[in-house]
Amino acid sequence: MKFSIAILLGGLLVAGALHAVEAPAPSKLNTTADHSKFKELQREFSSGPEVTKACITCHTEAALQIHRTKHWTWELLNPKTQQRLGKKHVINNFCLSAGTNMGACATCHVGYGWTDASFDFKSQENVDCLVCHDTTGNYKKLPNGGQPPVKDTESPPGSGKTVKAVDLARIAQRVGKTSRDTCGACHFFGGGGDGVKHGDMDSSLAAPDKVVDVHMDALGLDFTCSTCHKASSHDVAGSRYVPVGKDTDGAHIRGKADKTNPATCQSCHGQTPHKAGSQASKLNQHTDKVACQTCHIPEFARGGVATKMGWDWSTAGQLDADGKPILKKDEHGHVIYDSRKGDFLLAENVTPEYAWFNGDVTYTLLGDKVDKSEGVTMINMLGGSAGDGRSLIWPMKVMRSTQPYDPVNKTLVKPHLSGDDDTAYWTNFNWEKAVATGMKEDGAPFSGKVDFIKTEMSWPITHMVAPKGESVGCNECHARGGLLEKIEGIYIPGRDANQTLNLIGWLAAAGTLAGVLLHGLVRIVRRKN
Amino acid sequence: MQARHSLSIVIAAGFLCASTLAQAYDADWKRGRIYYRSVCTACHAAQAGGSIAPSTMTKAEWNAYLQADKHAKGKDSLKQYFSKSYRASIRAQNKAADKFADLPDEELAADVKAFVIKGAKDGDAPASCS
Repeated sequence: MKFSIAILLGGLLVAGALHAVEAPAPSKLNTTADHSKFKELQREFSSGPEVTKACITCHTEAALQIHRTKHWTWELLNPKTQQRLGKKHVINNFCLSAGTNMGACATCHVGYGWTDASFDFKSQENVDCLVCHDTTGNYKKLPNGGQPPVKDTESPPGSGKTVKAVDLARIAQRVGKTSRDTCGACHFFGGGGDGVKHGDMDSSLAAPDKVVDVHMDALGLDFTCSTCHKASSHDVAGSRYVPVGKDTDGAHIRGKADKTNPATCQSCHGQTPHKAGSQASKLNQHTDKVACQTCHIPEFARGGVATKMGWDWSTAGQLDADGKPILKKDEHGHVIYDSRKGDFLLAENVTPEYAWFNGDVTYTLLGDKVDKSEGVTMINMLGGSAGDGRSLIWPMKVMRSTQPYDPVNKTLVKPHLSGDDDTAYWTNFNWEKAVATGMKEDGAPFSGKVDFIKTEMSWPITHMVAPKGESVGCNECHARGGLLEKIEGIYIPGRDANQTLNLIGWLAAAGTLAGVLLHGLVRIVRRKN
Repeated sequence: MQARHSLSIVIAAGFLCASTLAQAYDADWKRGRIYYRSVCTACHAAQAGGSIAPSTMTKAEWNAYLQADKHAKGKDSLKQYFSKSYRASIRAQNKAADKFADLPDEELAADVKAFVIKGAKDGDAPASCS
């Protein structure tokens, strides 16, 4: 009897199992490779390069592809201006420059160990695969050239803050496609903090709703960064150093060899993007003069994260009565003064400034002459005008700063800011020492004098696209004192109305109407006769 | 005795088959993040006096809270808020409930757990509500 029950139960279980076999076996659908099954990754890792060494046993070309990209070199030659750009070279008006601060800056380099000029750019093992392919959200890099903490680490040293160790094996076994989180780990935090630099990119884009960005809406289209910024051989499309001001091509089509930037609005929406509604035709007439972003991004920093709009380095270095650095915050908890950095101006929901832009950008680089008497030095000069045929009216974040420069040589400077050595400004609060060290690294002349100069840097706004119902309305531009008040070289109805011309027009219209009525009246009267 | 032995073998074999077919679920913390923010936080912010950031509790406290399965100080079950029936009841007004309407209850609960443990005060990435 018992034996029969056993057979019955066993039979039921086997039958159930066989039934299950008929359905497709469970599998991960977001990848073709479960990396946790790879023996190469089933081990402990004591450093980032050890992980990369395992990765490239299968992905033999990946690191070599990375070596060719600006994510690796931080260097780019602008073919038009022949300026050598990239983070390695430019000066900005946020944290000023990489230079001798590379150990900290390279926290956002796709490599391990870039602290100074001795970094080996030919090493495949120095490529950091995990920073872009982590799916756990737990990967971290330290300001020591971007090495991950393999044990609990006090960072910065002496701060009392502990960065927890990351489990490299667990992260390596779960690698996957890039995501808003992986790209955002650096790009949301440009300038040293959440939302600081770009204004249209911050941590609110990690999982935004439709109001913050219609494309990245986590419950809607759910675009990742790479949906637009398509990569080829690990080279990601779209660059602020050589941007596209006016994309005159149509939408990209599968199978067609499109060489143009796939990250523009037009690469999906084409040149006549408005399809529905009574105003579609009229709106499409705007696209040869107005960038899509101008109407569709009415404000930036819309996700609840403030962006820096101003930075005054000249006030840095103030200490309290005990000689300790000062930190002041506003009512929202934003830091508005830091002894190491000076005064900050932050803002949310910022209405952009607007300018003609054709994609040409010229930077003020180390060695270029600047003149304090001119008022404001442009960190980047954007090309564009109403009449060049290549420009559109773009929305901009304009960062206004006061930053150190050499008043004798009349050049911007690259100070040595971070580090625990005697010349780092954040340690000793001495500008002359800090600038001397920073300039020496680049072999650039320094007079020994430091003064401060006002600067501006423009950032074309292109993320945080609002739902169409919240786009800029017609009368916000077509009015006196409207958003485009300062745009020159173009007649904007409503803004540029001339009273005399208007009077002549109305008189002409009234005269025409009177003539028609009179003519009709005469016809009626004569017919009766 | 022999029959009992056979029964054990057959049952063991059956469980082996079943366990081979059913793979362990690898929780998706990103999906948990969306559901937590769009359903849990949204409701708490609107009706329960404010949102609850994952970083307000430790991992141990979150584990204990989830294990206890007591919502609103024990007035109802926590698990019900991850259930298909609950999602169905709010999907007309809630995009997250609608998007994840067909997800097995256990998977969604595991996703949310992964997010709050990761975002706990002592978690790998302490998380706020927004």
